[in-house]
Order: sequence, then structure tokens, then C-alpha cells
Amino acid sequence: MKRYDLLTPEGTRDLLFEECAAKRSITEKLTRLFKSYCYSEVMTPGLEFFDVFNGKVRYFPQETMYKLVDGKNRLMVLRPDNTMPIARLAATRLSGEELPLKLFYNQSVFMVNPKDSGRDDEFTQSGIEIIGGEIAAADYEALSLAAKALAVCDEDYRLEIGDNGFFRELIFQLGVDSEQAESIREFIETKNYPALNEMLGGFYGSAAEAIKKLPALFGGEEVFAEAEKYMLTDSLCARLKSLKALYDGICGICGADRIRVDLGLVHKKNYYTGILFRGYVEGYGRPVLSGGRYDNLLGDFGREAAAVGFAVNVEAAAKFLYARGLEASAPDVLVHGGQGAETAALRHCEKLISDGYKVYNSLFASPESAAEYAKQHNIYRVDTVSADGSVKSTEV
Amino acid sequence: MENRKVRIALTKGRIENKAVDLLEKIGYDVTDLRNKGRRLILSVPNEDIEVVLAKAADVITYVEHGVCDLGVVGKDTIMEHGGKFFEISDLGFGKCRFALAVKKGTDFYMGYGVKTVATKYPEVTRRFFEAKGMDVDIVKIEGSVELAPLVGLSDGIVDIVETGTTLKENGLEVYDTVAPISARLIVNTVSMKLKQERISEIVRLIEENCDDKNN
Repeated sequence: MKRYDLLTPEGTRDLLFEECAAKRSITEKLTRLFKSYCYSEVMTPGLEFFDVFNGKVRYFPQETMYKLVDGKNRLMVLRPDNTMPIARLAATRLSGEELPLKLFYNQSVFMVNPKDSGRDDEFTQSGIEIIGGEIAAADYEALSLAAKALAVCDEDYRLEIGDNGFFRELIFQLGVDSEQAESIREFIETKNYPALNEMLGGFYGSAAEAIKKLPALFGGEEVFAEAEKYMLTDSLCARLKSLKALYDGICGICGADRIRVDLGLVHKKNYYTGILFRGYVEGYGRPVLSGGRYDNLLGDFGREAAAVGFAVNVEAAAKFLYARGLEASAPDVLVHGGQGAETAALRHCEKLISDGYKVYNSLFASPESAAEYAKQHNIYRVDTVSADGSVKSTEV
Repeated sequence: MENRKVRIALTKGRIENKAVDLLEKIGYDVTDLRNKGRRLILSVPNEDIEVVLAKAADVITYVEHGVCDLGVVGKDTIMEHGGKFFEISDLGFGKCRFALAVKKGTDFYMGYGVKTVATKYPEVTRRFFEAKGMDVDIVKIEGSVELAPLVGLSDGIVDIVETGTTLKENGLEVYDTVAPISARLIVNTVSMKLKQERISEIVRLIEENCDDKNN
């Protein structure tokens, strides 16, 4: 039998040193950002009941979830998403809390990826969820925080805004069954114009024309003028207008060159009911940030409340930071005590640290090996401490 | 990363030749592409474009991961392999179809016994029969699939059929069409957004110049 005791499972990794530092640096910066806007951190269990993710509407295909059974033979999953558990939390334990709630999290999600796809099966997300609040005000806040979160990953980011509502409304007007609707959604998501045109070949009227056009409606401000020609009902017009207002508002904060629009954004996790957004940075082939408005999800858990949120893929952002090189700084001083002077050395370390030095406490037997280590690791000062506490300092 | 050229991945072989013809028609200098030797990354002089040659499934992988911005690959590979990217045009060349073929004269859909199907494309086959609500055993074969029903391993095969000559020579015939196939232009989802202007321009040129489109 093959033993797996020396390997990590596919899709998972040990993170070492600089990789850890890069990841930590991203989560710390994002935490600081969220806290500065008075968001409260929550943590949910890594293990959840399967039913949480398999409600009335199935947002998560079961083949993408890691499953196991608990001691009572109930089906459990490793958390595949952070929004669902937080919706559950907001609808249950926080049900007495007044809205709006501003929550943030830093925790990993797990998913089964296709074999050998080179994707992470476990990765950390940092994100926020705003439960309740005025829709427009919450959308503005979520988007401006999303832009700030992206700037943490890379100054030259793009934040893209869309609205799931266009698709939902148009597909309702078109009057197709849910299976056809899902195919159409998929063709829009993949901008598969040939398949979309073929599928809608037998449909006439403004809804079909608008759906055909949806995936092509992306870019900058010019998109709105083009979209106006296709959004013919009052409610679609109103939706377009409010998206334009949102776009203008966010452009005002972040600069128009950072903000993009894509009316063809239609998320597979169709708990999204309103605005959708994604963040991109150069050099990473998938979005590093993804989020949107989900006004019905809490209702599934028994508390009607509108909500909006996003998550940053910390692994992706960290990879990016790591690729650009994090400067790892060497210790300032190596402190060597040796046999009998261990505690004296530690006391000296304490003093140096309180003076603001970065200190490496030697665990070597001889002063020579300690000095050799200092030389190899670019530590330019070596303090040798005797048992009585006296210190001899040498510059190397 | 900032200044990387727009990278197009082409599926080696027939699709590559057609695609190079297409690039030439657009007016790009394809001398390098025609005299490639053993090189795998080729430049297009005077353009901010480079071309990568890869096996079909790898074209998808490279585009999906964003290391190539555009790709030209057959619908057969897209159907079998899946993945997340924009599949924006049907280039019209490389036309053929996925078909279910059986020994001449047999009626595959008759009877209640579970049939065995041999194929190089288990994913496509599985979805086809799932949609039909039919229970079949699927056997993955790497080489000439036509052999499987002849030696009695399977009742039928699902394979790419172009002219049908190989089938005919081996006493097989097409029983049902699974899906039409042609070459597709795919684009990485992030590249499309970050380099919208340049990529839209290339896509427009490609679409305007693929004359096979309506054949």
C-alpha cells in the first residue's frame, strides 16, 4: 500500500517563510482596512452541515464540496464558501442584533477542483458582508472598500461592476424554463456569442435582442450609452440608471481608469440579486476579488434582510506580492550565550528587543559556529554574553 | 508582466496551419510561424503579438491560467476538457462532428441491456448519454477507437467523424450525431478586461478574415 505520510494532498501546500509573510501581510492590511471602517470580525467553523449549502436553491454543486460524516452519521462539508455561513450566522445567532451589521472575516474555504488543474483546493478569503442598510449606501461602501482592498494587492487594479438584475429580468421576460435559462446564463458568462445566438435564434422581441447583446456590453463609460438602446422596459432603464449613478460615484472616488463595467457579469452562485463586482490585477489569470448583492439569501435562513459583500482571494494576492519580491530583512544582532549563559543571553535579548532591535538568539554550542551563522545570514553585530551577564559586542 | 506581448496559443497541427493562414490574411508577417523549426514561442514582427504552439488541451490550460491571452482550439477539446474562459467566436474551420458509430446494421438504441461505448472522449460521451437518460458503460481508449466494436469490447464508439472513410473501411457507420465541432477562438477572462482595446481589435480582425465561417 502506498503511504502518504510525506505528502500534502493535491491542491494544498505548505507555505514557508516569505510566502507566509506575503500572505500575512495581505491579511493584516485588509484587516486594518476593514477595522478602520468599524467592521467586526467573525469566525465560523470549518466544518458545517451539508444542508447549509444545499438549501432550497442549490448554489453549490455537491461534487465541488469536500464531504465527511459526523459521529451521528450526518453529512458534513468543509466550508466551501464564507458568505453562506455568515448569512446563517446573521439570521440565527445575530438575529437580535440591529441592522445594519458590518462584518468581516479571514478564513479559508475548501473546494474540489478538477484533477491536475493547478488550482488551490484550500485557500484563504478575506472579505466583508454588510447585512441590511440602505441599498445604495451599502453598495457604495462595499464598492469603495473593494477598491481599497484591491489597492492593497496592486495599485494598478481594475474593479469591474455589473448587475445580475439585468439578466434575471430579461430571462423572466423571455419566459424560458430554468434549464434553458442556465444554458443562456452560461453562454453569457463565457461570452459564447455563437452558442448564444444559436440558442436565441427562435426568439424575437426586445428581451432576446438585449440578452444577445449583454455579453458585449463591457468596457468603460461608453457602455451605458450603448446599453440604453437595449434596456427598453422602465425597470431595466431604472436599473441602468442606478448602476450608472453607482459607476459615476465610484469613479469619483477611485478614478475612471480603475473602474470598468460589464453588464454580462452573471454569477454561477446565483444567490446574487443586484450589483456584482470583480477585481483584477495584471499577471493573475482569474479575478482576485469577487462579490455582489444577495438580498434573498438570509431569507433562506429565516431572516429577511438585504446584504452585500465581497471576498479577496488572499492566496492569489499573496502570490502576486511574493512574485514581486518581499524584502526580508536580516536580524540586527546575534546574541550568543553558550552553555551556562542561556538565561543571561535571553535577558540581554529582551533588553535589545525593547530598545527596538531585531535579535537572533544563538542556539549554537560554540561562539565560532554562532559567528559563522551570523556571517552567512548577513547579521553584522554579534553580542557574546557571559554567565554573569557581561556583554562583549563585535561588529562583523 | 506589464509589458508582456499579447500571446496567442494555437493548437498544433491542422488548426495551426489554418490559423496561420488566417493571421497571414490579416496582414501579419508569418514567416517565423512557417519556418518554426522546433521553437515553441514565435514572434510576429512589427506587432505586439507572440504565438505559442501547444497541444489542444494545453491551449485551454494556458489560456485559463492567463499566461496566454487568446487561444485557437477545437470545440471537441473544449467539450471534453471544460474550463473557465470566454469562448467568443466560431472560426468555422476544422469542421467535423462527434458521432456515435456502430457496426453496420446494428440498432444501438434497441433493447434494455446496458450498452458499452468505447471512446477517447469519456466526458462528452457521458454527458451525451446522461442527456438521453441512457445507462451505458464507458471505456476509455487511447488509440484507434474503431477497433473496439470490431473485437467485441464495445457495442459502439463515440468519436470525431470527418468524412467517415475510416468508419466505412472498418464496417462501421454513423448511428447518431452527438455534436458539431469547429475551431473556436477563446480568450482569458482577465485579459479580455485588462487589455480590452487591443484584444477586441485582434478579435475583430480575426473574425473579419475567417472566410470559412459560412461554409
